Amino acid sequence: MRKNVIFLLAHQLCKDVFRSKVMVVALGLMILLVCFSGYSGWENYHDQNYARDAIQDEVQESWENNPDKHPHRMAHYGSFALRIKHILSVFDLGMENFVGNAVFLEAHKQNTVNFSEASMSTGLLRFGEVSLAMLLKVIVPLLIFYLGFATIAEERENGTLKLLIGQGITRKEIVCGKWLGLYNLSLIFLIPIFLILLCFVLFGTHDTSSGTSLMRYGVLLLSYVLFFGILSAITILVSAFSATAKSALVKLLGVWLLFVIIVPKSLQAIGYYLYPTPSKIEMETAVEHDLSLQGDSHNPDDAHFKAIKDSVLLANNVSSTNDLPFNYGGFIMAKGETLSTKIYLEHQDRLYKVYAKQNNLERYSAFINPYTAIKNISMAFSGTDFQSFLHFKDMAETYRYNLAQEMNQLQMEFIPNSGKAGPNTISSDFWKEFPPFQYQFMSIRKVFQNELISILALLFWGFILFYGLFKLSNNLKAI
Amino acid sequence: MYRLLFKSFFRTKIFLVGLILLMTVGVIGILIGKQYLVKQEKTISAAQEFQEESIKRNINYHKDDLGLLLYYLRFTLIKKPANISAISIGQSDVNPLMQAVTIRGLEGQKYDTDFENPSLLMSGNLDLSFVIIYLFPLVLIAMTFNLYSEEKELGTWRILASQTAKRANFLLKKLVVRILFVFTVLIVLLFMASAILDIPMNQNFWALFLQSLLYITFWSVLCLWMISLQKKSSFNALALISIWVVLTILIPAMVNSYVINKYQVPEALHAMVEQRDGYHEKWDLEKDVTMTGFYEAYPQYKNYQVPQDKFSWIWYYGMQHMGDLAAKETSAQMTEKIMLRNNLSEKFALFVPTMHAQLSFNTLAGTDMISHINFLKALTEFHENLRLGFYTKIFDNKTADAVNWQEHEAKYYAINRDFNWFYIILPTLMVTLVIGVFGMWNLQKL
Repeated sequence: MRKNVIFLLAHQLCKDVFRSKVMVVALGLMILLVCFSGYSGWENYHDQNYARDAIQDEVQESWENNPDKHPHRMAHYGSFALRIKHILSVFDLGMENFVGNAVFLEAHKQNTVNFSEASMSTGLLRFGEVSLAMLLKVIVPLLIFYLGFATIAEERENGTLKLLIGQGITRKEIVCGKWLGLYNLSLIFLIPIFLILLCFVLFGTHDTSSGTSLMRYGVLLLSYVLFFGILSAITILVSAFSATAKSALVKLLGVWLLFVIIVPKSLQAIGYYLYPTPSKIEMETAVEHDLSLQGDSHNPDDAHFKAIKDSVLLANNVSSTNDLPFNYGGFIMAKGETLSTKIYLEHQDRLYKVYAKQNNLERYSAFINPYTAIKNISMAFSGTDFQSFLHFKDMAETYRYNLAQEMNQLQMEFIPNSGKAGPNTISSDFWKEFPPFQYQFMSIRKVFQNELISILALLFWGFILFYGLFKLSNNLKAI
Repeated sequence: MYRLLFKSFFRTKIFLVGLILLMTVGVIGILIGKQYLVKQEKTISAAQEFQEESIKRNINYHKDDLGLLLYYLRFTLIKKPANISAISIGQSDVNPLMQAVTIRGLEGQKYDTDFENPSLLMSGNLDLSFVIIYLFPLVLIAMTFNLYSEEKELGTWRILASQTAKRANFLLKKLVVRILFVFTVLIVLLFMASAILDIPMNQNFWALFLQSLLYITFWSVLCLWMISLQKKSSFNALALISIWVVLTILIPAMVNSYVINKYQVPEALHAMVEQRDGYHEKWDLEKDVTMTGFYEAYPQYKNYQVPQDKFSWIWYYGMQHMGDLAAKETSAQMTEKIMLRNNLSEKFALFVPTMHAQLSFNTLAGTDMISHINFLKALTEFHENLRLGFYTKIFDNKTADAVNWQEHEAKYYAINRDFNWFYIILPTLMVTLVIGVFGMWNLQKL
């Protein structure tokens, strides 16, 4: 293969395309869309995080300003965890608007994460959302197909393909040249978006970990660069093996509809159909049931807690709980919290396993649908996938558990047992000692682990198609 | 003439593909709706059982102290399932089907969500409304984009033109054959849905029916207009798909982003904090602070004395209510913002048939935002009635025997969305007429 021939063909394709009306319309539309989604993404990120930061601070301040009181009052006073958006959510909204944003953290109870944007939106949300990533995943592929469907098929129809081959240009050179040209064109859409994004990442004020953000950015960039290479290859191959340009276009449009709209949605629906999940009330019933079997601290006659009581009395060599060297109420609540949290998390874990099964159908389809691969990679590295949400939820739950147990500990140490002399409150200094909730984004290593399948699928696609470009191109029909 | 046109249409590949695609996905959509209804029913019976069970168990533990008993007990208000919601699941998967609340502060319980897989929420339900809004237009496009151009490209147009006096009529008839086919499939699917999902043939169903037909008419007319421009097949395909993308993806998504950013709702988060602080700070204040506010809200309880030196239930539930009062204003602002979002979206939708179809489907099925807001209002009322029903007995320090627990089974709230026929029909009709006139005008020049 001669490099200069390939470059010449690529250059020619670009020149032709820039003369066509489609490219003008496409570019105009894209500029408009990029401006709109860049601006609305940034505004959303900035305003939301600003509001949430402010409330998180306010929550901490009111926590610290509580007067001296009984520690269990503070355990019920509790705290809130607010989900902070990742700077890359400007790029890909992912599930951002479908997961909750704030959760109340109190003793004895795992509250749901509430106030998702979806719960405050109209039915329009289901049409999808515009973000920079959505343009790259959904709209640009369509544009690539528009720009590239005719490349080889039309040359054949016009008879110019025969001429090219007659001039001694090999079929491989033709296919590679066309591919390179189309690929270059597609990068015209990609590069500005990633430049804009780079500014956001570098100057995104809310983020303290811009180092990892840059790494995430790098992975996103590489993935999209590869994805566009794959798309260009699909376009060229379909065009090369279609009898007419019209049939190439129809095939490509079909591919787009199937890959982007129909297959992902159907697989998700099938997953949901195959693996039913319990509703909240069903899970709560199950949790309460398990709890009543293992030990219910609210039941005065519960065997589990009676046994604990007996062993504590025995170990401390006293006959009444009032004579224990620590507050018995605090001790029992600590035991109860450990038990109920353990059972709740077991059930929650089971629920998430079912979700994973529901999603896996689509996830593994990445090997037949490159769109799914890029969709999952894009969400995960933008910190807007389900795992990122769970990461937040886990951190909030850990904080809640520590808060409740710390208060139980304080109660055990400083509050006298009933009937004994001593203050019923402790100093407010203890509240100030308890650290505030601080969210940390998931480590990039963890994201790689989560998205291994998608990355492999994308690489697999890349390999298959470049193999296709080189091998299949020999069979190109001149007429 | 029509017989021959039908015959030739039935022989095309796209006829078979379109028929199979629409029927399969349509039936899948109906089945998904069915599953949604079944899940609802399962959840409801679980909730009823849960409530009965937990009342029984807690009475066992706290029989002598009604105040403490009611600290634990939860009472459920359920949206009465309407089968028509299975056609357009809308926002009803995001918003919970029911809410189980204690008589403590409502604000902290009102917005609790149910568990749903966010991936599913994001990809949306494949219900019948999706099939109608997204897939039907695609099949229509696939069947009609080359109606004229194909004849032209194959060279058959000249023969035809020389044999018919009215060429436009011939094209129209060809188009009508395809549209009739799509309409037939649509009507069959809607009646199948009605039968399988057991949807009563009431006003809402017929309005939904009519809206679907109008929506498909809109797309038919759009295709007619595209054909009337007499461009190449590739151009038609490219243009029609682009229009489809713009109407079903880009415009609605942009409108949604715009609306969400224009009316952000930080009030939701503020109300949450205000409620907690409004309640908890009362523990550290004089009891009178609570009681003055409480008596103001409910003067009927003024006679009850509050002991200053020890705990009393009237003080406790008074504090709880103070939390709700503290958040009341912000909470109302939040609802107002959501309504603003809704109104603005509806206004945009008047000009975009895809959006209008989705929003009016949701309205008719009772799965829109307003239905949920109405439910939350009903929940507030339900909660107040519960409280007022229990307050006297608690404040009189009665035991659990004072309450007739049989009455406290899970309660239903019937979603009753009335709608305006003009509002449902007019917007799509107007857009359709305008495009239709342009299309026919072009066609006459053929």
